Amino acid sequence: MDYLAVQLFNGLANGSFYALLSLGLAVIFGMMRIVNFAHGAFYMLGAFIAYFLLQQAGVGFWPALVIAPLVIAVAGMFLERVFLRRLAGLDPLYGFLFTFGLTLVIQDGMRLRFGVQGQPYSAPAELSGTVLLGAVSYPTYRLFVVAFCLVASIAVWFVIERTRLGMAVRAATERADLTRALGVDVDRWITPMFGFGLGLAALAGVLAAPMRNVSPLMGSELIILTFAVVVIGGMGSIAGAIVAGFLVGVLSSVGAIFDPAVEGIVVFALMAVLLLVRPSGLFGSIETR
Amino acid sequence: MRIQRSLALLLAALIAATACSGATTGPGPAASAAVTLTDGKVVIGVINDQSGVYADLSGKNAVEAVNMAIADFKAKYGDNALGGPIEVITADHKNDPALASSKATEFYERSSADVILDVPTSSAALAIAKVANDEKKLYINITGATTDLTGPSCNKYTFHYAYDTYMLAQGTGTAVVAAGGKQWYIIYPNYAFGQDMNKSFSAAVTASGGTVIASDGSPFPNQTGDFSSLLLKAGQLKPQILGAMQAGGDLQNVVKQYNQFKLADQGVKLAVGLLFDTDITALGLDALAGVQYTTPWIWNEDAAATAFADKFLAKTKIRPTFAHAGNYSATMQYLEAIRRSGSDDALAVVKALEGYKFNDFFIHNGTIRPEDHWVMHDAFLAQVKSKAESKEAFDYSKIVSTISADKASRPLAETGCNMPK
Amino acid sequence: MVAAAAVAAAVALPRLIYPVLALEILVWGLFAVAIDLLLGFGGLLSFGHAAYWGVAGYVAGMVARDLGAPFPLAVLAGLLGAAVLAVPLGYLSLRRTGIYFTMVTLAFAQMLYYVANELRPITGGENGLQGVSRTFPGLSLGPSLSFYYAALPLVLFGYFAAYRIVHSPFGHVLVSIRDNEARAQALGYDTARYKHIAFILSAGLAGLAGSVYTLGEHFASLEMLHWTTSGQVVLMTVLGGLGTLWGGVVGAGVFLMLRDFLSTSDLFRDAPGVVTGAIFILIVLALRHGLWPTFAVLVRRGLGRFA
Repeated sequence: MDYLAVQLFNGLANGSFYALLSLGLAVIFGMMRIVNFAHGAFYMLGAFIAYFLLQQAGVGFWPALVIAPLVIAVAGMFLERVFLRRLAGLDPLYGFLFTFGLTLVIQDGMRLRFGVQGQPYSAPAELSGTVLLGAVSYPTYRLFVVAFCLVASIAVWFVIERTRLGMAVRAATERADLTRALGVDVDRWITPMFGFGLGLAALAGVLAAPMRNVSPLMGSELIILTFAVVVIGGMGSIAGAIVAGFLVGVLSSVGAIFDPAVEGIVVFALMAVLLLVRPSGLFGSIETR
Repeated sequence: MRIQRSLALLLAALIAATACSGATTGPGPAASAAVTLTDGKVVIGVINDQSGVYADLSGKNAVEAVNMAIADFKAKYGDNALGGPIEVITADHKNDPALASSKATEFYERSSADVILDVPTSSAALAIAKVANDEKKLYINITGATTDLTGPSCNKYTFHYAYDTYMLAQGTGTAVVAAGGKQWYIIYPNYAFGQDMNKSFSAAVTASGGTVIASDGSPFPNQTGDFSSLLLKAGQLKPQILGAMQAGGDLQNVVKQYNQFKLADQGVKLAVGLLFDTDITALGLDALAGVQYTTPWIWNEDAAATAFADKFLAKTKIRPTFAHAGNYSATMQYLEAIRRSGSDDALAVVKALEGYKFNDFFIHNGTIRPEDHWVMHDAFLAQVKSKAESKEAFDYSKIVSTISADKASRPLAETGCNMPK
Repeated sequence: MVAAAAVAAAVALPRLIYPVLALEILVWGLFAVAIDLLLGFGGLLSFGHAAYWGVAGYVAGMVARDLGAPFPLAVLAGLLGAAVLAVPLGYLSLRRTGIYFTMVTLAFAQMLYYVANELRPITGGENGLQGVSRTFPGLSLGPSLSFYYAALPLVLFGYFAAYRIVHSPFGHVLVSIRDNEARAQALGYDTARYKHIAFILSAGLAGLAGSVYTLGEHFASLEMLHWTTSGQVVLMTVLGGLGTLWGGVVGAGVFLMLRDFLSTSDLFRDAPGVVTGAIFILIVLALRHGLWPTFAVLVRRGLGRFA
């Protein structure tokens, strides 16, 4: 196993974050037709909650992996009830603008409080070693991230695509009026699904904390890349979000072997090509406005 | 009103000119007693990053340092030592050279600033050097690292005060090679600062008998915060030293991931180009213990430095970085220069600064080189302490050796500065 | 009457406020009008117009600096550069509609940001394009005030062009596509073509604004291409009021004056993002019509007094 093959694992590790983030975006969009610009900000908040739990309460990585997504999910449900509900039925651009404003407030507020320097956070002891992949030793934590994200993504996919609960949600997404007429309380699902989507972002944030810099700006550039991933996967498609996430991660990392500068551009080039040959994305379904 | 002000300016300049010609004959006590201000006040502009990656290492606390210097100056010479108020104005350049340039123009023209201080981020630093030259007003850069300020972009009104990439490379590069770290793999952020660092370090390593087996640029800005491909390459190349030239948040990511790849266990040691105390706060001592780096100053290097750091801590709740201390020191030296020259007219102050030799708690064995306006002074090779060695909060580093002012300064022949007479 | 009053206001502006700020309001206003042309009249929210503003800035900057061309030529080059770029990017972005379109424009603009950063030998990377000077035979355009008046006709031409576009048959078709694309198609209009042309025109106006901005600042920088720039101009447009065309100018004026005012106040200088973000949230929740309707009533009342 050589350098090139190991670079593939790097791609998968990066792709894990794209997959989790675009999955959350897809869930929210599917349910509410809102493109959540603040997704990157909640990813950042997830990482900060992990940091806080450790600093203030001595709570480690594993509990944080559960607590942070829950906290953010509850906050998200509150947000949906108080603000986003007022935007239901309007042009989706208002939801986009609202979450854009929210991003600025959250990011800048956090910066005001914490500065932009990163905060320290390390991987749990049992994952901080390395594993020998052929001749190259590779951080155990990264392998864990890949495995964890794969399992989590597939679980979400299964719940939404293969269970009765998921069926109700999907039905509500596609024909809210008809589903309602059939006696399903659609609105009851909107709030928890929004919370769930944000929870996924926070989960990605906790996973990123030991690998990346925990700082208020950590999600600000990532969100744009995630948008491109979502366009590639096909908006609203759960499977598309997962596959496109890992695909973009791997392609960027392999591109980086030839020239590190390529890494940032691969995803956009891929998006342009796809728009030409298959505008609805890899897994895109019928497009509604 | 505009005409009135130009008239006043003209008059003041005349008075200043006569005062200057008097001063050159003999800088007696009388010369400093009568200071004439061009517009009745001294305005100090501080332009730096107050919201981005360099906000913590200089930022608003640098403004606080400037205010502290003014208060101390007044305490020493009296409230009206310069015959008028001393004001501070400040702006956030968000690391954007265009914004830096327009803010500097606004400060000089609209707010009649007499000097601009600080200015981290090489691109912004160079942009303001150009404005200072056009506006014929003073500019003392403290937190910018690029050697171009005293090289191709040098001018009559621009001074470079605290450090540059040459100093960092001379200290760290030479010392690490001397300690046996001969084979280097350098990774640098691919923009002006990083390229400058790569050049300086490659030269210093080679000159002291080491070799650079490879060097690679990392994307800047690095939107994913991921450096694993470069670190994997380091694992392949197995150099003795991995030279990381990243700064701020990028550096923190590199160190974090360097530790995760366990490169140290494979015999690849880490050398860091530029390290601020704020980086150590972010990473924790464990992540950096033993790493050597070059710095013009650390807060507990001696009693005078600690005295300043104590006052600074009381005001800001943190210990000063060298950028904070440098801003204090530069403000003090600027105000002293006005006293010496008897005017805040830019050319008069330039004259008072050129060739000046001085010492303070920040600058040791300082000389302001007239040929390129580089402030020559000693620097230190420092080492990050282990957790056991650290005695209190912010007690991060110890000094390994002193790099004398002439060793830390780029030889004049290499600057490429063509200073207008 | 209204047009004359507007021109008079534009002429008087730099006498009342700092000329550099006056020029900023003028060009950001035009930039916002370009956004409104697409969003208010075409129903297309571009969150990537930084691309055209920025690329035009670089082109104009290079033409002025390296070829020494008089400034109107540099502005023309920037405008054309932006319009040409909009041909392929507009085509690709318009393969998607609605909010997808928004995301695609955003992603393409960010791609250009990275490309400009990597093309260091041409763009100067993060150093930006420094030392851009503006010249015109027989004029001294160094001072901000003289450049303001020199550039004013060009910017006013941009405003006039936007007005003509909206009030032409083309503009009416655009509005009908916004309201019901299927119907416009059924009436025989090639809607894709109309939208593409609107996109190119809007990019051209953004390019005109970006070129003048660069010459005014002596500088083209990467920041011009960043997504925050796209966000800021959309904010101005929505703040002014969608579909009002001139609302963007009011939005730009209010936003920039507010920012200028806040930059001197300690309370808010530290948190520009919180202020900007809060304005966004406020507009979306409570002020979706923007400031223009209120403003228009006030102006009409003011003018009524003279008439």
